[in-house]
Amino acid sequence: MANKSSSPKKSRKPSKKPTANGRKAWFWGLFGRLSLVGVVVLAGWLVYLDAVVTSRFEGRRFEVPSRVYARPLELYDGASISVGGLNRELELAGYRKGDGRQPGTYQQSANRFVISTRGFTFSDGAEPRRRLAFSVVGDRVSGFRVLSGERSPIVRLEPAQIGGIYPAHKEDRILIQRGDLPPFFEESLLAVEDRDFYEHFGIAPLSIARAMWANLQAGRVVQGGSTLTQQLVKNFYLTREQTLVRKGNEALMSLLLEWHYDKNDILETYLNEVYLGQAGVRSIHGFGLASQFYFGQSLGELDLHQVALLVGLVKGPSYYDPRRHPERALQRRNLVLSELAESGHIDETTALEFQARPLGVTSRPSFSENRYPAFVDLVRRHLARDYKEEDLRSEGLRIFTTLNPSIQYAAEFSVQRTLNRLDGNGERKLESAMVVTSRDSGEVVALVGGRDPRYAGFNRALDARRPIGSLIKPFVYLSALQQPEKYTLITPVEDRSFALVFDDGRRWEPKNYDEEERGEVPLHLALSRSYNLPTVRVGLDVGVDSVVDILHELGVADPISEYPSMLLGAVSLTPVTVAQAYQGLATSGFNTPLRTIRQVTDAQGEPLSRYNLAVEQVLDPAATHLVQYVMQETMQEGTGRSAYWRVSKDLSLAGKTGTTDDGRDSWFAGFSGDWLAVSWVGRDDNGPTSLSGATGALPVWSDFMASVPQHGFSPVVPDGVQYHWVNPQTAALSGKYCENARLVPFIAGSEPAATDSCAGGLGRRLRGWFEELF
Amino acid sequence: MVRIRKYGAAAVVALSITGCASGPGGSIYIPAATPPDYNRQTRPAEPSAPEPSSPTSQGGTVTYEPSPEPAPAPERSPSPRYQEQGEALSGAAASLVRKADSLLAQGNVPAAIGQLERAQRIAPRSAEVYFKLSEAYVSANNLPSAEQFALKGLSLAGSNAWMQRSGWLLLADIRRARGNVAGADQAEARAASL
Repeated sequence: MANKSSSPKKSRKPSKKPTANGRKAWFWGLFGRLSLVGVVVLAGWLVYLDAVVTSRFEGRRFEVPSRVYARPLELYDGASISVGGLNRELELAGYRKGDGRQPGTYQQSANRFVISTRGFTFSDGAEPRRRLAFSVVGDRVSGFRVLSGERSPIVRLEPAQIGGIYPAHKEDRILIQRGDLPPFFEESLLAVEDRDFYEHFGIAPLSIARAMWANLQAGRVVQGGSTLTQQLVKNFYLTREQTLVRKGNEALMSLLLEWHYDKNDILETYLNEVYLGQAGVRSIHGFGLASQFYFGQSLGELDLHQVALLVGLVKGPSYYDPRRHPERALQRRNLVLSELAESGHIDETTALEFQARPLGVTSRPSFSENRYPAFVDLVRRHLARDYKEEDLRSEGLRIFTTLNPSIQYAAEFSVQRTLNRLDGNGERKLESAMVVTSRDSGEVVALVGGRDPRYAGFNRALDARRPIGSLIKPFVYLSALQQPEKYTLITPVEDRSFALVFDDGRRWEPKNYDEEERGEVPLHLALSRSYNLPTVRVGLDVGVDSVVDILHELGVADPISEYPSMLLGAVSLTPVTVAQAYQGLATSGFNTPLRTIRQVTDAQGEPLSRYNLAVEQVLDPAATHLVQYVMQETMQEGTGRSAYWRVSKDLSLAGKTGTTDDGRDSWFAGFSGDWLAVSWVGRDDNGPTSLSGATGALPVWSDFMASVPQHGFSPVVPDGVQYHWVNPQTAALSGKYCENARLVPFIAGSEPAATDSCAGGLGRRLRGWFEELF
Repeated sequence: MVRIRKYGAAAVVALSITGCASGPGGSIYIPAATPPDYNRQTRPAEPSAPEPSSPTSQGGTVTYEPSPEPAPAPERSPSPRYQEQGEALSGAAASLVRKADSLLAQGNVPAAIGQLERAQRIAPRSAEVYFKLSEAYVSANNLPSAEQFALKGLSLAGSNAWMQRSGWLLLADIRRARGNVAGADQAEARAASL
């Protein structure tokens, strides 16, 4: 720019006498000077453009979104899966029904499956391509065999992509290299888009002339004269407007790009940059992703007719959209095949053969964004602890999560089905949330944030902080049972009303849900029937602070005020926090932090962070076992028993209901052998409902438990716990066939010393004796 | 590095086939029930034909109970379930444990833990998996985690004296390496008493 100011200065000198000769000289002088100015300006502009061109090419060329994957499905003899669940899993992972020989296809006849896997490189080892055969019998895999490929009694399928974390411009792509291209890809692309790619130096005047001639003849634009380089420049650096200046810039920048970089580099960048489709707000860039998007296959697997379709799409991804305009797409594809034959790469018969094939496009993209917004929301919150948003949006990280699509499906379905039923014909005011974790590992396998599981708004599972009501009670009794010299499951506790008077004169008079009083009841009954009065008495005896301590040790980070009313659940927690606290009850006293992510790797699969299983014993396993016993009793005889209207009687479950005043919150938390689930039903405006824990959240929970194949709950008896036949009414040892006899666990030494007289039991004893005999 | 007594893979395998004693029930696998037909309202239970779409579902008839109050369950299960021992490793889980062993031998501890966690997911009620995880964490020199996994394994060993003994000895070694002599002696005494 400094040069510019110096030229007008020089120009003043010769312009003194305007004669004829002088005029001529003046003209040439002016022309010369203007040319000089022009050259200088152009040079400056070129320097500027050069900087633009190189800066983008030298830096990170693409911002690649991070990919979020579901957990991979493990197949082995005994694996738990239903036929329907397997079909859904396969579809989600982009498998197509087919011959079961081509990778990524499967064959099904009734309950027999043959699956041809694509192979996947996990950071802890590769799963090579295999052909698998097995049956699904009684919701379990049986007769599992590897037909071809490396033998193994257990095989992981490729994980399904369930989400992405995108750059601000919402461009999505899977980076590829030239080596990833299938046969005839490059030939097809160049035959259609830029025949002289390897000859020209960025622009091809001959092609432009040829295109102009063709356009003139046709009377409309039928051909573009842009080289691939120009197309790349246009997409990479320039706006979409069609002006002469822009055209000029495009040509100059193309020349500069070719000057700086080799053809290979330019072609590879083009392959990854080109726009090839749209999925909502997400734009599909590059052939790597387009191949997944249209065919559910990786680029290298594509056949010639699929290659031709993708290449044909470059001209107009929306106009030739094979899903919306299959006729146009077919014509375009066949034109590409003809061009390929014309240029001599394939023969006419081959072209005709592939032209006769159908488009082969999947009916919808195998991966649709926003399928699991609530779960991905929790994943992002966990990621935010260790990763910068900027890196997540651009570095192409791979995030392997714990989502189990089959369980998620069942949870969503149970929430929707049950809430529609609870609404009856009334208004849709009820909302719900559900969290499901793997009981022994703390992996969050499903998360429902509301009755519309696709709605990415308020995530009730994470953000609805509600009083938990009677869900607190197991922790109150756990605290008491840790003192075996004072409390056992048959210790009589008082179900009688009382009043607490605080220093400031306020009174608190808790009541039972049914407003009855029963006098003395055994402790196990007080919990399984969820009586309020004995709970408060026991809680005050052991101390509110000890209950608060237990919750904190189980991973509840929220502050909890130590008012006596907390003993009846005046503690507001989110469903996911409740799940965290119940995890400790479900695993015999081990705090198992909830996890949604197993591992994060970089784009090449190198591990960046692992989130390993962690356990920490924080509760007395013996006391926890006693509480688990009562939580099972709750399901069989107590407030949770209506679950068995829906669930098989053989599925042993443990759980607890929770209700708050006027049915504002209906809770259920419980577990089987495999899964722990917490459900909540209530209104967003915190309004009253006619529901209790047993009639709102429990139906959701039990519908879920019934829909999922699984193991029943059957805890291993911990050290120092013994089962005894007792009569809880008299709090004395008894016999198996005596009246009111019950097999109850005791912490060793805390069992009653007295023995019951076994009233009225001779007949029963005799019957029992005969039963045992045969 | 800590010296850990090997409790012998052969012995563990031999142990695995002894099966597990159960109290009332034990852990039973239950397939999914057929979805309820809510349009049917409160018709009495009747044998329903299995749904054509789910040939393998073995669920019985389901009736919807419309009363807002929990009605008495149709027939209650006898009593809460428990079992005296954890569960044996399945073939698939055992193969993952073997894979982890060889990764551990190669010194690739993170990958070994990855394989053991796979095994844990498919055999979460087997004490052995947790003892293996404990060993892997010893190799990673992460003794606090190693101790917790040993405790977790012990919580599933139940009445299996051999598994108990292995667990207590493992725990004793870890505690000693952590400088917890009293805890180690205690664990050793537990092992000796079995």
